[in-house]
Formats: sequence, structure tokens, C-alpha cells
Amino acid sequence: MSNTDTIVEVSNLDVTFQMDRGQSHVVRDVNLDVARNETLGIIGESGSGKSMLASSFLNAVIDPGVSTGKVMYHPEDGAPVSVLELSDSELDRFRWEEVAMVFQGAMSSFNPVTKIRTQFRETLQDHGRDIPAGMDRAHELLESVYLDPDRILDSYAHELSGGMKQRALIALSLLLEPDLLVLDEPTAALDLLMQRSIVTLLDELQTEYDLTLVFITHDLPLLTTLADRIAVMYAFNLTEIGTTDELLYNASHPYTRALLDATPDLNVPVDEMSIIKGSKPDPVDRISGCSYSPRCPIADDRCRSEEPPMMTVRDAHESACFYYDDAPDAVPISAAPDERPSSGRTTATEGRDN
Amino acid sequence: MRTDYLAKRVAQAALTFFVTVTLTFVLYRMMPGGPTEALRNVILQQQMGTGNTIDPARVERLVAQYTNLQSDAPMYKQYIQYMSSVFLEQDLGESLYEDASVTSLLAERIPWSMLISVYAMVIGYTVSIVLGAVMAFKEKSRFDSISSIVVIGLNSTPYYVAGILLIFFFSIRNEIFPTGGRVGLGVEEGFNILFMQSIAYHAALPVLSMSILGLGTALTMRGNAVRVLGEDYLRVAKLRGLRNSRIATQYVGRNAILPMYTQFMIGIAGVLSSSVIVEQIFSYPGVGLLVYDAIQVRNYPVLMGSLIVFTLVTIVAILIADLTYGFIDPRISSGGTDE
Repeated sequence: MSNTDTIVEVSNLDVTFQMDRGQSHVVRDVNLDVARNETLGIIGESGSGKSMLASSFLNAVIDPGVSTGKVMYHPEDGAPVSVLELSDSELDRFRWEEVAMVFQGAMSSFNPVTKIRTQFRETLQDHGRDIPAGMDRAHELLESVYLDPDRILDSYAHELSGGMKQRALIALSLLLEPDLLVLDEPTAALDLLMQRSIVTLLDELQTEYDLTLVFITHDLPLLTTLADRIAVMYAFNLTEIGTTDELLYNASHPYTRALLDATPDLNVPVDEMSIIKGSKPDPVDRISGCSYSPRCPIADDRCRSEEPPMMTVRDAHESACFYYDDAPDAVPISAAPDERPSSGRTTATEGRDN
Repeated sequence: MRTDYLAKRVAQAALTFFVTVTLTFVLYRMMPGGPTEALRNVILQQQMGTGNTIDPARVERLVAQYTNLQSDAPMYKQYIQYMSSVFLEQDLGESLYEDASVTSLLAERIPWSMLISVYAMVIGYTVSIVLGAVMAFKEKSRFDSISSIVVIGLNSTPYYVAGILLIFFFSIRNEIFPTGGRVGLGVEEGFNILFMQSIAYHAALPVLSMSILGLGTALTMRGNAVRVLGEDYLRVAKLRGLRNSRIATQYVGRNAILPMYTQFMIGIAGVLSSSVIVEQIFSYPGVGLLVYDAIQVRNYPVLMGSLIVFTLVTIVAILIADLTYGFIDPRISSGGTDE
């Protein structure tokens, strides 16, 4: 599906960690295309491998993790780049210039002992950019995230609030004009109002700077307001991918449907809330068949022995379920579609970790 | 706000100094024998040796002259007298045995002790920081575990044991370095290469044995660096494609060394007092050896004087550490909000 509109092509991606008790397979055979200028949301439980998938876009999986497979980056002009085959020095140039990443725990993403200005400046310097021009861009970026540039640049990280730091980090991530911005739970540590304003901000920045966004979260309602397409990740692989509307109204994987059903609603008492029974598999175990089959209400012998490939449900909507046609009837969603995920609520997608 | 804090810290330091000196004075006075007793005995013995008659008044006069104390005055009067001569006249009294003031004795010895202590500290800390950083970068490697074992071993070895072993191997077995002294005989003093060489040659072993004492810092550095290596800002720095040299110095280095600054300043405070045993082993005539000899012969004015100097250096070093920490780590501002 390689065409000029694709910015990143992920094929057969695996991420593994060697551990004492065996090989931990935290991303399994993922295939995913990201279109230029779209906002792709990736949703999944804690530990489903979504952060590892995101880090692989920059070949930045933390040690001792290893990404294998293929991640092809297509610059606007020039030859495609195979990200996982870049040398260390090539990676240093690729990161932040082509793909930047804002990740979990951005609260402590700045060096505590130097001013923010130094950290903007050293980024420009180490990438061989013109510093006065770059600092002008820094001012412009900080303004577009609604911060007072001079005040922020002359501050140390501890002098800023969480929301300010997050916005300053987003400005820093756009300093070298990357085409793709990967955001790994950028709103996780912020309050609801700040989450909202960051999401609005990202929307504006995307238009202003022609960005492609990959947004990772476990907050489904937040995603629905921002994403053009949503990819659902369960147990180290994608289970369903489609446009946001398709996924909300025509979800055809039992897991996605259960997830939508589990979205908390303030009008429903806590003991009537749906939860997904069971727990997710261990990354060390090799599951036969569909990884969701132990928890799936419609799983049969075929599901338990054979791994379902991604199947086209309709245009721009794929599901990794043999029974994608039966899923909507088998797993009903109690809330009416228009009452489903909306602003300000959080889904109960946090699975029980082992 | 800032000047308030400064005044408060300086006043605290002054009070600490005053209390320490007072306490030392009282403790010395409570020791059996005491400074005046010891001096009186020395004078009496000398007088008896000459066979002259003993004039008690003359003895008392001598005692008072040498120690700044009127030995028969009540303790509080002696205290007031000693303190006023120390604080108002900057007079630490006369040594009981040499014909020299305590001040001049100390002034002559302190630079030599400073020389070996400061070099030992600088070498010890530099090696520790580099070693600790390398150990952290290669965490869990064979190099890391072997270095840890060696450093823990060296750190647990008392430096006087290290000193004796060094003398044995380098001075007695191999005669590479001298066993003692601070300059060679017949070397002309002054700013010439031969004199400098001789100083370095004589200081080598004491410095080496004291540096080994400081190697434990490598473990602290390793721990700090391992912690910093796991910080989010380090990951972001790598993702930003910053140069490795910048990450090593500005990110890992600065953040890992910071917590050691106070420790370093307290270390400076200890340079003089820790020299006592080392200088004795290497017969290195510094202030440590002066104190050691003074203890042997109960030379109380010298003891009191050097103690005052040690206390002063300690308190000033810690005061400087306190006041400057805010400049080094922006997170610790001294209560001032000027931005």
C-alpha cells in the first residue's frame, strides 16, 4: 500500500526484550501505514505495546529492547529512509529533524539545571542549524502554544507548571520542523482542562505546520475529538483500525466493542459499569490463535488455534477477527452511539497487569 | 530576602565557632593535668635540674607568660582572658617548647598540609568522578563489578595502612620515593625547578595514600550517574539528537556531580584535620605532625591554636558550600525570588 501519501510504513514490526524468564515479545508482527497529514490515534491498555510501537517510529525503543522488521519513512522529497537500519549518527540527524517525539512523563523532560533557552539553543547547535533564525522560530512556536516566549526561555523547568512544561516541550519538538510528531500519552499527567487545551492546540499546530500526528493514549474519549483514524491495540498487536466514525459506530472487533461499552458514563452507577472480564496475556507466553480469544464471548476452536489476519470490513476499516460480521450482534454496546465517548470522560481500559 | 538569609547563615557560623572554641577550652581545662599543670611541671623539672631554688611566683609568671593564662585565676577569668586575646588581639599564645608564637608555627606548617591535602582531594575526586561515570555507563558489565569490588576494598582500607604499605614497597623495597620529609637536603629554596621537583617527589606518597581514601566517592558518583541515566530528560536529550559529549557533560555530568558538591566542601573542611595521621606516617612536617607532636608533649597552646584554625576552616568551607549551592543548582534558591 505504498504510495506518495504515506509518510510511515510499518511492516512486520516486532519488539522484543530478553529477560531472565524468557523472551518478552511486546510488539508482535505489526503492519501499519500512516498517511501524510493525518492524525492517527493508537489506543490500548497499559502494557499492550503501544509505547513500544511508537518508539519504533524513531528506532528509540529503550535498552535492551530490540525492534525488528521494517519501518520506512517517506520524506516529502528524497528517497525513503529505513529507520531501523540507520547508523547512530544518521539516527541523531533523523530524530527531531524528520520525526520528533513527545512522550510519557514529559513533566521531567527538561534538564533541571539549565535554562529552557539553553535547551532550545543546544538542539539547534547540535543539528548545525542557524541559531538566530532558529531562536526566532522558537519564539514563534512558543507563541503559537500560548506561552510568553521570553519568560519561558529565561526559566528553569522547575519554575514552570505542568501544562506550561508540556506546551514548551511541544514547541521544542517542532523546533527543527519535523514532518511527523509522535505523542506518547502527552496528556497523561495533566488535569482535564489542560488535556483539552493541549488537544485543541495540537489540532491548530497540525494545520499551521503541516504535521502528521501519531497520538498514543488509553483515553478513548480524548482521541475521538482529535483523531482522523484510530488503531486499537490489544496484547502487542493491532486488532482493529479504521476512521474514527467507523470505529465508533461500526466497531467490528469484540475487543473494540467491549472497550466502547466500558467507557464510563456519569449517568450510570459504578456497579452497573461494564468491565472486560479476564486479564491480558503475558508478553513472554506464546498464545496460539487470536490473543483475545481467552476473553472473547464469541471465540470458538478456530479462534483458539488460528491467528486471524487483518480483514477488510469495508473501505478504510480493517479488523483482526474471523467473525467481524457477527461481532456487533454478539457484543452489544449499551450506550447509544451519540452518547458514547465524549469529552471529559475516561475509559476504563486499564487492564490488570501481571 | 537574600541578605537576610546571608546574615542569618553568617551569624549561625559565628555562633558555632564561638561555641566550639568555648567547649574545647573547657574540655582541655577538665583534662587531668591540664595545660598549666603540664607547663608548671616542665618548669619545675628544669629548675630542679639546675639545682637552683624554686621561686613559686616566678613559676607562675612564666606559666602566665607562656599560656596566656593566669593559672591560679578562677576558670571563668582564664576563659575571658584567653578568649579576649584570641578574638581581640588575634594572639594564640606561645608554644611551650619552641621559642615561637603559635600563629607563626601554624603559618609555617599549614601551606605544606594544604599542598598534600588539596592535591589528594583533587586527584581523588577527579579519578572518582571519571571512574564512577564509566562504571555507570557500563553498568552491570564485568568492568563495573570488578571496579566496584576494588573501590569498596580500597575504601575499606584505612589510609594509614595504605600509607605503610606504600612506604614499604616504594621507599624501603624499591627506594623510588623518600620515606619522609618535605624537601631534599641541600635543595635551594625558592621558585626553581629543582625545588619544585623535590616537593613533588616528597609529596607523592602522602598524596597517593590520601587519594585512595577518597576513592569511595566513585561509588556515590556511579549511583548518581545511574539514576540520571534513567531520567526522562536524558531520554529526551538522546531523542533530540544531541551530541554525546554534550549529553555526557551537561546532562549526566552536571546532574550527577551536583549532589556531591556539599560532600566536596565538607571534604575541604576535613583536609587539615585528616592530615594528622598521614603526616605522622610519612614524617611530613605539616600542621598534622605539629598537632601530633603537641599531643605527645601536652603542648596545649599549640593544640588549642590548631584546633581553632581547623574549626575556622571547617565552618567557613561549609558556609561557602551553603551560600554557593544556589548558584550551582538553580532549584535551590536561597529564598530569593528575583525572577
